[in-house]
Amino acid sequence: MCGIVGCVGRRDETLSTLVHGLSKLEYRGYDSAGVALVDDDLDVVKRAGELDDLRAALDGRSVAGRVGIGHTRWSTHGPPTDANAHPHRDCSERVAVVHNGIIENYEELRAELTEAGHEFRSDTDSEVVPHLVEDYLAAGEETEAAFRRAVSRLEGSYAIAAVVAGDDRVFAAREDSPLVLGLDDDAYYLASDVPAFREFTDRVVYLEDGEFAVVSADEWRVTDADGQVRDKAVDTVEWSPEETGKSGYDHFMLKEIHEQPRSLRQCLRERVSELGGTVDLDVDVAPDGVQFVACGTSYHAAFCGVSLFHEAGIPAQAFLASEYATSPPPVDGDLVVGVTQSGETADTLNALREAERRGAETLAVTNVVGSTVSRECDQTLYIRAGPEIGVAATKTFSSQVLALALLVLSQTGASRQDVAALRDLPGNVQQVLDESNAEEIAQAYHGSDAYFFIGRGLHYPVSLEGALKFKEISYEHAEGFAAGELKHGPLALVTENTPVFAAVTGDGELARKTIGNVKEVEARGAPVVVVTDGRNDAARYADHVLEVPTSDERTAAILANVQLQLVAYHAADLLDRSIDKPRNLAKSVTVE
Amino acid sequence: MTIDTAVVLAAGEGNRLRPLTHNRPKPMLPAANRPILEYVLDALVDAGVECLCLVVGYKRDRVQDHFGPTYRGVPIDYVVQKKQLGSGHALQQAAGAVDDSFVVVNGDRVIQAKMVSAVIDAHEDAPAALAVLEHGNAQRYGAVDVENGQITALVEKPDRREFRLINAGVYAFDRSIFEVLARTERIDGTLPLTAAVESLVDERKVQAVRTNGLWVDATYPWDLLEVAREVLRHGLVEAPERDADVWVADSARIDDDATLQGPVVVGPDSEVAAGAVVGPNVALGRNATVGANATVEGSVLDTDARVGAASVLIDCVTGHDVHLGPATVAPGGPADVQVGDAIHRGERLGAVFGDRVRAEGGVNCAPGALVGTNANLRTGVVVSGQVRADSEVIR
Repeated sequence: MCGIVGCVGRRDETLSTLVHGLSKLEYRGYDSAGVALVDDDLDVVKRAGELDDLRAALDGRSVAGRVGIGHTRWSTHGPPTDANAHPHRDCSERVAVVHNGIIENYEELRAELTEAGHEFRSDTDSEVVPHLVEDYLAAGEETEAAFRRAVSRLEGSYAIAAVVAGDDRVFAAREDSPLVLGLDDDAYYLASDVPAFREFTDRVVYLEDGEFAVVSADEWRVTDADGQVRDKAVDTVEWSPEETGKSGYDHFMLKEIHEQPRSLRQCLRERVSELGGTVDLDVDVAPDGVQFVACGTSYHAAFCGVSLFHEAGIPAQAFLASEYATSPPPVDGDLVVGVTQSGETADTLNALREAERRGAETLAVTNVVGSTVSRECDQTLYIRAGPEIGVAATKTFSSQVLALALLVLSQTGASRQDVAALRDLPGNVQQVLDESNAEEIAQAYHGSDAYFFIGRGLHYPVSLEGALKFKEISYEHAEGFAAGELKHGPLALVTENTPVFAAVTGDGELARKTIGNVKEVEARGAPVVVVTDGRNDAARYADHVLEVPTSDERTAAILANVQLQLVAYHAADLLDRSIDKPRNLAKSVTVE
Repeated sequence: MTIDTAVVLAAGEGNRLRPLTHNRPKPMLPAANRPILEYVLDALVDAGVECLCLVVGYKRDRVQDHFGPTYRGVPIDYVVQKKQLGSGHALQQAAGAVDDSFVVVNGDRVIQAKMVSAVIDAHEDAPAALAVLEHGNAQRYGAVDVENGQITALVEKPDRREFRLINAGVYAFDRSIFEVLARTERIDGTLPLTAAVESLVDERKVQAVRTNGLWVDATYPWDLLEVAREVLRHGLVEAPERDADVWVADSARIDDDATLQGPVVVGPDSEVAAGAVVGPNVALGRNATVGANATVEGSVLDTDARVGAASVLIDCVTGHDVHLGPATVAPGGPADVQVGDAIHRGERLGAVFGDRVRAEGGVNCAPGALVGTNANLRTGVVVSGQVRADSEVIR
């Protein structure tokens, strides 16, 4: 849950390159940051707080070096303080290390090192690494060998980069945390994720678990745990660095909400034919049953997937990945589908590994090409939403649900009407964006005690997602419930000062029953906002209406969710929240 | 010093193009099947501009969503004009975003790179330079007189017919234009850029740069048909050329039994069914669908348009997401079209459909019909003249 960067070969620009890289990785964590640069000496500057605090600390100081590493942190061991910020050093202050992940045996290592006379300056698990390197250097090992031996002692998950004073190389290793190498004409970069150096190069090498990298100004080399050189493929990144700007919006989140028509088009491109009535996904599965594993927003998308599979007559269940990893159900020949935007979510990866151990076939549904999940699963379905920077997922939720709808149609076969409904989706989302009154509704309910979201069928996960988005960025209390569950408990929470958002589309039984639940809350005096396509009379019981275009029920969920995204955004904006970087959260959660 | 910055004025609605501008500003209307503004930015980037400043206002998210933070690798700085108080006022909003010298262009007319390069070169010798070109219909635009390379008169929509040169709306200025704008009197509360340029003309400070090439403007909805014809004639489309004058995006699907008659361009994700005849002079936008045995001729069908089986559309313009059911017929032909208080006689126009119009099936359109945004035309109706936005038309 942190971001690491490294840079070799941009002599005069090492520092600015590292800071630029960190700024692009802030989505991975932003409670402290630091850099280490190496010439003959080691220079380390690190600060608790956002990257700007580090920039302020660097201001006016001549920090330079031929090689360097950097880190942006999201705390797991020890609070965000200057001391706990990375890079961490050994006692001699000649070794500096940045680490993303969790070292599970650090207490034991720390005790051993303390015993041997090492002094620790932080509360972190990561600090054991520089001290271990120091020990092996003192024992007479060459730098690379010392680094390898240190890493071999670690248990847990890590992407690590290290520098040593007087050595113009960066040493790196990965196990269960992402690490990618960037190849420029005259420089090399290392990072947790491509945006850190995308501005400089589009050529990348993805490291795999158990691999080591040694990078100098003249060459890069990737080896396995035994030191054998690996023949690595050089990939080309397709998206441009500019896709990560705000394009005139105040926040990435609003920009990304507005990008949905485009990202949905990309998800559909060349996968569907209306005239032929076909869906072709380049994924070869034919499951008798499906188990989804996912976290957060992706879990809600998976939950939508469950409904879609059920409608198609295929049994499906969604599991929270963190629970699945520790209490897995029998897999019984089911296809296990991991839904993760980043493809690096530790909980989801662990759940998938558990499923694999039990012999399950696995499918990744992810946004990031080359991500760990895509390499570990048997097959991958890409959602093609493009880079998402806002911590609160928006466009990737829509694209995940659409990709799952495509997956279901690839199993059942599609009619022309099915495909037409999907092809109409981007235009319908555009209509929501053109006509939404969400800002007015956010204003009307500003300052309420709590915000509840209810729905049935596909609108149940939409309600959960609506509430999650709301709480993530507004910090206000919000909860989503299955509409029918209200009367079994949560109705006790409903008052005149708790607006209830109900998603009700279509004119079928689901709508009728949800309207019954709407009446229940209306009778208790709660203000009601319905999200509706006008094919039912839900609006009669509502104080406010958020309209969505009439559409296929499968895509109505995505449209309703777009309205709720906008409500959450405007509510948080009214409260002047840090919308793109909400407190305590990070985009890609690479720790368990 | 050579100019590397351009200010693009893209904040205005273009209200004579209603209903097509209901959800987007005029620069985002299609020239064939790409927004007009893309051609403007292409011209600037091709001329070597390295920094784009877009002044946006009316429905600005449509511009921002389409272009994002860069265009063809050139960074875009968005500047917001909150109230649309004229092109001069729009330029004033960009004062903080430009250096000593810069290009200014209108975002709502298709131009070419050579016009931009020409004003950049001319600006080296003069504080202000303005591209002019010959136009057969000068009285519709800003007309100019030129003597010895200097603009001597700048007249908006002159009554007299003797003008042959027009203002192409491509300028190069230094920062002194901001002082001129500051002392230019507003007209009915608005500040047109041309008013400031006129005072520079009076001082004989504006260099005229004669240029030629593609320059097309849309004033009224049906002008988009002419714009598309011109763009197709010049082959300025962004799709692989499958046959002579037939351009089809890679992701489009054309049935083997469909006929594309050039010049025609088919946008990404579009589908054309068996027996359909599309063209000549047709532009299909992104994700458009033409059903079996439909005939589409001389028309611009924008993003997400859906044309039902056996429809006949001649000289039609659609907005976004227009769904025309089976057997919708707009036979085209000369028509008298009313826009505001003015009646335009003898325009060649089948019909104009605003964004998200729904025609259920068997709808007939008399030549020149203007169907407002979100209107719903029920089965079998005959429409003519203007249909109001959001209206429901039944037999």
